[in-house]
Amino acid sequence: MPGEASKAAAIIGAAEANDIGYPATPKSSLTLHIEAINNVCNMTGIPIAAIDGIFSAGWSPQLAEYLGLHPKYIDTTSVGGCSFEMHVHHALAAIHAGVINVALVSHGEMGFSQRFTGGKGTGRPFGGGDPWDPGTQHTSAYGLGGAPTGYSHAMNRHMHRYGTTQEDFAEIAVVTREWATLNPRAVMYRKAGEGDLPPLEQGEWGGGKRGHTFGGPISVDTVMNSRAISWPIKLLDVCLVTDHGGAVLITGPEIASTSKTPPVWIAGAGESISHWNMLEMNDFTETSAGRSAAAAYKMAGMGPEDMEMAMIYDSFTVTAGITAEMLGLAPAGEGPALWKDRHAAPGGRLPINTNGGGLSFNHSGMYGMQLLVEAYRQLSGTAEDGGFSGDPGKQTSARSCVVNGTGGTLSTTGTLVLTSD
Amino acid sequence: MAEYTKPIPSPDPVSQPFWDGAKEGKLTLPRCSDCNRVHWYPRVICPFCHSMNIEWVEATGKGTIHTFAVQHNRGLVARGWGDEVPYVTAYIDLAEGDRMLTVLKGVDPNDPESIEIGGAVQIEFEEASEDVHIPFWRPV
Repeated sequence: MPGEASKAAAIIGAAEANDIGYPATPKSSLTLHIEAINNVCNMTGIPIAAIDGIFSAGWSPQLAEYLGLHPKYIDTTSVGGCSFEMHVHHALAAIHAGVINVALVSHGEMGFSQRFTGGKGTGRPFGGGDPWDPGTQHTSAYGLGGAPTGYSHAMNRHMHRYGTTQEDFAEIAVVTREWATLNPRAVMYRKAGEGDLPPLEQGEWGGGKRGHTFGGPISVDTVMNSRAISWPIKLLDVCLVTDHGGAVLITGPEIASTSKTPPVWIAGAGESISHWNMLEMNDFTETSAGRSAAAAYKMAGMGPEDMEMAMIYDSFTVTAGITAEMLGLAPAGEGPALWKDRHAAPGGRLPINTNGGGLSFNHSGMYGMQLLVEAYRQLSGTAEDGGFSGDPGKQTSARSCVVNGTGGTLSTTGTLVLTSD
Repeated sequence: MAEYTKPIPSPDPVSQPFWDGAKEGKLTLPRCSDCNRVHWYPRVICPFCHSMNIEWVEATGKGTIHTFAVQHNRGLVARGWGDEVPYVTAYIDLAEGDRMLTVLKGVDPNDPESIEIGGAVQIEFEEASEDVHIPFWRPV
């Protein structure tokens, strides 16, 4: 039995900024927001002026001001990359309650270009800037900083507990890259030497050195031979750092029926948290996606066996592997086998991360919006049309999708069950 | 004393008894007087039963390695630690309960297979400043 809020609202359109990835000319995070908002409104035929609820990871007041809007619902939930899945949850509740009619979820982040502009990213792996913050006080002495330095502890614990190997996790990177080679919008679509991309300056990630072949297919050996970042995590276990802007519109059924683009129904939604600082993570082989997915499946009246595809946050190969287990798509300890056995691959029974993932498509620091855009493209059958932001991608036949964002250091999760007519 | 170049934590009133103990080379942990469970990091309220009756107890300084990683990328770690890569960070299960983050001393970062999850470790303290002695752990 689906819950009362199930399908009370739909994502009626999803679009990206005009230039994403490693743009030759950087645009500000705010511009990336606005381009995507303009694109999604053109795509659906819903005017910007009709937006009466704004949901973003901290940007909502600025967006309202910039667009001259006076929204009735202002949500700035910013708890890492899963914030956008939570925004959809919140927008569903607000529309179901009759508070608003047209919800905008928006994202803009110059994860790559900030290093050329002196700008600052919004990623903040550990706690706040308060030196008395207990998480900061009792971890800062040991130097952990960038996200990989924490996630590696979870990967090692998974390997210890279940006997999984670095090679098992490498399979996730290999299959995800395969999807990227089918998606011309993906940063890793191109093979080395093709195209006119700017030089890859990985900044703090690699001191400007190019540590791996740029784009095109990879093998388990490629991953295993890539530079050690935070053992057992290697460079190709790690997501990209790119620019991205994206926006989705969410409305009830009545307005959805007036959209130029088809609705993708929010059948279920849930969110949860297990900790903020990894110091407080109880079980390093589990995330709160177990709870957020249970809530989403319950609202949808569906289960993991009903899902025809999945969009799973892959900040690291370990993030995707563990999350697949939490979503009930694989037994505990066997998440990476979905990729190794090619179920998740093109042509497999459960396509996962059909855009090429955070690993090989685009990851701007927070990746939750990219998950939403691709889930919409697949379920609405518009993946091959290209939309406003680029080239046609691979279209699957899926009509249901579980979407899971993960934020912080395996800290926070938002899960959605999306379906199409 | 040579200048300590790595980050030094800022003790606050809630955690001060821990840092006072550290100066004497003792691991002092917060324990709930009502449910008797030790928690880490220090709080004014017990995270297990929500009692505000917290007392401080001297612990054994013994623990086991819950999980670890080897930090190779100097750009991803805090200032001061960049010169130390590769080095091993670990989460330690305390004998009294709950868990601390640390840097493992006395292990070979170039041979992670030689470091044992579940292996016994003992605490030690390094004088980073007059007021702050930082806990580290070392395999027994």
